[in-house]
Amino acid sequence: MTSELHRSPLGVFLALISDTVQEARARWLFWGLFGLSTLLILIFLFVLKIDLIQGAISIMGIATTTQALNVHAFVMKSYSFISMFLYVWGTLLAIFASSGLIPSVLEPGRIALLLSKPVARPVLILGRYIGNVLIVGLNHVYLVGAIWIIIGLKTHMWEPRFLLAIPNCLFIFAVLLCVVTFIGVVSESAALSVMVTVALIVVSAILAQRQFMMKALSSEWSRDLWRALYWIVPKFYDLATVMMQTIIFDRNLDWMTPLWTSAAFGIFILSGALYIFAKRDF
Amino acid sequence: MTSEYAIETVQLGKTYYSRFRGRKIPAVSNLSLRVPVGVKFGLLGPNGAGKTTFVKLLLSAVHPTSGTASLFGRNSEEPEARRPVGYLPENHRFPTYLTGNGMLDFYSALSGLAWNERRRRVPELLELVGLRDWGDVRIKKYSKGMLQRLGLAQALIHRPKLLILDEPTDGVDPVGRRHIRDILDRLTGTGVTVFINSHLLGEVEAFCEYAAIVDKGKLVLEGKISSLTAGRGYRITVSSLPEQVLTNLRKAGAVVVPSSNGLQIQAATCEQSNEFIDIIRSAGGLIESLEASSSSLEDVFIRATQTGKAA
Repeated sequence: MTSELHRSPLGVFLALISDTVQEARARWLFWGLFGLSTLLILIFLFVLKIDLIQGAISIMGIATTTQALNVHAFVMKSYSFISMFLYVWGTLLAIFASSGLIPSVLEPGRIALLLSKPVARPVLILGRYIGNVLIVGLNHVYLVGAIWIIIGLKTHMWEPRFLLAIPNCLFIFAVLLCVVTFIGVVSESAALSVMVTVALIVVSAILAQRQFMMKALSSEWSRDLWRALYWIVPKFYDLATVMMQTIIFDRNLDWMTPLWTSAAFGIFILSGALYIFAKRDF
Repeated sequence: MTSEYAIETVQLGKTYYSRFRGRKIPAVSNLSLRVPVGVKFGLLGPNGAGKTTFVKLLLSAVHPTSGTASLFGRNSEEPEARRPVGYLPENHRFPTYLTGNGMLDFYSALSGLAWNERRRRVPELLELVGLRDWGDVRIKKYSKGMLQRLGLAQALIHRPKLLILDEPTDGVDPVGRRHIRDILDRLTGTGVTVFINSHLLGEVEAFCEYAAIVDKGKLVLEGKISSLTAGRGYRITVSSLPEQVLTNLRKAGAVVVPSSNGLQIQAATCEQSNEFIDIIRSAGGLIESLEASSSSLEDVFIRATQTGKAA
């Protein structure tokens, strides 16, 4: 039994994930992430405690015709706000909070000891990566789950589509974390990791305006270049649009294309990070 | 896989390239070394000799540009080759957010120790290194000596067959040094191979049975310490000599060391001492004394690194 455990990669993976969680706990940025989620939850509790129908709805500025319609509109507006907050600000904050977790492990004196262990190099980085995704996933489950339960208890509207925000926000974070990991491995700079990742989000949002740009661009080659770049980068804007349309209007849009193209980008970048890490001297 | 050597390197080399000019900087050159199982081995060399790079090559933290390194007959680039190895790096940076218990648990998990065994071994090792009451305290509160002892506990926790220590007593006060030496002394007769990379000659001489000296990335001397220091030498003392004479002496293989009386010129053999005396006398130099002496490891080290020759 013991000898089997000695060769089991599960124990190593769990140790690496646990170490990442402990380091994240020691960083105030992660407490900030959970603190902000808690603040949002408390605001929702407060809003709903005032007066659901008369108070909360008027706070949200919803035009009223019937009470049932008002509650539905309030719930949908809440879902919309939380989903987008989590998708944009939650992702940015999570990237900011995660950016130091790769460079910290590459510090001289720390990496040499890690590399002396009987662990394949890619496992060291993958353990960090998964630990990071796990922490952010917990935060997303905490925020979305709590808001969903609070709204459900108050309004008796249990709309499961809202819960799609959890995997969607976590997915885009996981893709962008591949970029953070890659830059972290190459440059050992947390600041550069954040800068490149935020720049990628902005570029992705600009490239997503391709309907407009196809008309605006004059030459065919520039349109082809735009299209090519659009397909390469993760679909930050498209996934947000699809998520909002699905959650609020229950429209059945194409999830798969932005999903697999973004996933392919993430896998490619993460593989690059693992390859470079395996070849580097420390 | 079994091997009679805990460490075996064949023509091992590592060359770095400067970033912009691409200039070659050899850190380790064609270094072939064998460390038998169960011995205490010291790796010596001046600063920048390539000792730490050599250790990193053994542990695959640095990839070789030529040659191979094996641990117990297994290529050190394979993760499994490092399973029987305990390592204490120089200038280590243990995660300060961990407690002593947490740190030992984490690194022993990476070494492949099962959870129930870790639970038993962590307090045992803290007791061994005298940190029993510090297990629940965060590492950032530890002193340098305590960190070094904790690092040693980390290296020993999975009962390694090969212990690689990079400057284990560097920056530690005399009491801490003594404590570390006592812990290492307990390994005598256990079959554990101890490989110490150090510039503290006295410690290596007192603790190790074998030593190798590297200089400018090359192995210049290797053998049993008792054999290396056994050869008798001769010490010529002079008050002063012109620079040209000193150059001639060095060319002839002399090791010139400043001393309180003036200069000491060390010769390995009787013939050599006579040759040096001729050079000094022909230049009008005044010999104050001539005495036979056995070599200390320091003498051997200085001779080896200044002349690249064995004692």
